[in-house]
Amino acid sequence: MSAIQLNADTFRTQVLEQKQPALVEFMAPWCVYCRRIGPAFDKIAQEKGPGLLVGKLDIDDQPQLADRYQVEVVPTLLFFKDGEPVGRIVAPDSKAKIDAFLEQYL
Amino acid sequence: MDKIHDVLILGGGPGGYTAALYCARAGLDTLVVEKLSAGGQMALTQQIDNYPGFEEGIDGFTLGERMQQGAERFGARTLLAEAHSAELTGPVKKIHTSEGTLQARAVILATGAGARPLGLEREDEFTGRGLYYCAACDGMACRGKTVVVVGGGNTAAADALLLSRLCEKVILVHRRGTLKATKIYHEPLFKAPNLEFHWNSQVTALLGEGRLSGVEIRQNETGKITRLDCAGIFVSIGRSPATELFRGQLELDEGGYIQADETTRTSLPGVFAVGDVRTKAVRQVVTAVGDGAAASHFAEEYLAGLDASH
Repeated sequence: MSAIQLNADTFRTQVLEQKQPALVEFMAPWCVYCRRIGPAFDKIAQEKGPGLLVGKLDIDDQPQLADRYQVEVVPTLLFFKDGEPVGRIVAPDSKAKIDAFLEQYL
Repeated sequence: MDKIHDVLILGGGPGGYTAALYCARAGLDTLVVEKLSAGGQMALTQQIDNYPGFEEGIDGFTLGERMQQGAERFGARTLLAEAHSAELTGPVKKIHTSEGTLQARAVILATGAGARPLGLEREDEFTGRGLYYCAACDGMACRGKTVVVVGGGNTAAADALLLSRLCEKVILVHRRGTLKATKIYHEPLFKAPNLEFHWNSQVTALLGEGRLSGVEIRQNETGKITRLDCAGIFVSIGRSPATELFRGQLELDEGGYIQADETTRTSLPGVFAVGDVRTKAVRQVVTAVGDGAAASHFAEEYLAGLDASH
C-alpha cells in the first residue's frame, strides 16, 4: 500500500475521527522537495501496513487545514494520535529521520 | 551482515547510479545506499537543459528516477538507509547504516555535496522557520515579505532574482564589494526595483523567538552593526562536500573533497569517489556521470586483481 492522497473529508474521517494513528505530509504540487520524500513515504506506508495511516494533504487545496495546524513550510509531517497532532518534523532529509520520528510515537 | 557485496555505492545521485548501471551490467553484485530518493542535488532542480539527449530539457527528479530504473534493469538494487560510519581499510569494507551493517569488497563514494551553512548560533533552530538554503523550494514561504539573501555567486544571484519576483523586498548581503556571479546576472539584478545591496558585509547573528524575524549584519570596513527585520534569510554561500564519515580514513583536499584523479581511485585500495564529492574542476551532472563509468571500470579491475591473488 502506498501513501494516500487526502482531502478535507477523508482527512476528517480517516485521520481526525479514527483511533488509528496517522502520519500526514502537508505538501504542495510545486514543492520539489516533497517529491524527493515521496519514495521514502511510500516505503513507510508499505512497511507499517494497516496499523498506521500514511497520507498526503495538498496545502493549496486545503489552506484552512494548513492554517489550523500552523504549517508554514512544506513538507511538514504531522503525527496524529486520537485525532490530535502530537508531533511534527519539517523537511526530513532521510528515510531514517522519518523512521526515528515515528519511533517516538509507535 | 554476512553477505559481502561486490560493490557498495553510497549515494544515489547521477554519479552513483551511473556507477551502479555500469557495475551491474558488468555482472557485479551491486547495492546502492541512498538516504531519501534518487537524484541527489539535481532532484531539486526543476529544469535541466545541459544534460544531453533531452531536447526539451528534463526535471532533475525524473532524471534521477530514470537513472535508478536504468541501473535496476540490470540488477542493481537500492536500499533506503542512512550511513552512520564507515570502515574503509582492509579487503572487506563495512558501512554501518540505519538498516544495519553492510559489507562489500569495493566501495564507490557518491555522497555529493550540500549547502554550506553560515556557521552561526541558532542556525539549526531557525532552519525551516525563516532560514532556508533553497529559494526555489522555500521562497513561497516568504511571499510578499522582506527577505535577506546571503552570497554573491551564481546561486545567490539566481536566488535573489527569483525572490525579487515573489517578495516585497530583497536585501542581498555579500562579504565582497562586487558580485562573483557571471555577468549575465548583473543587469537584471541592478535593475530590479526591490533589490537592495549591502556590500562588504556579513551576517553576524540570527534573531527571533521561535521563528526568525531579523538578522544582524556587520559592515566589514566600518565595523558598523545593523539590524534588519526580515521574514526569511536564504543562504547561498556555496556548497560543502558530504565527507564527514570518511575524515581520517581518506585523503581530502583543503575544501574537504575526496582526493581522487580521473580514475576516481582514492588513497585507499578498493575505494573510489565519484561526482561532486571528488576533487575536480567542473561539477555538473555530465561530469558526475563520467566519473560513474570510470569508477566502475577501475572497481572491476580492482576486484579482478583480488580474485587473481586468491
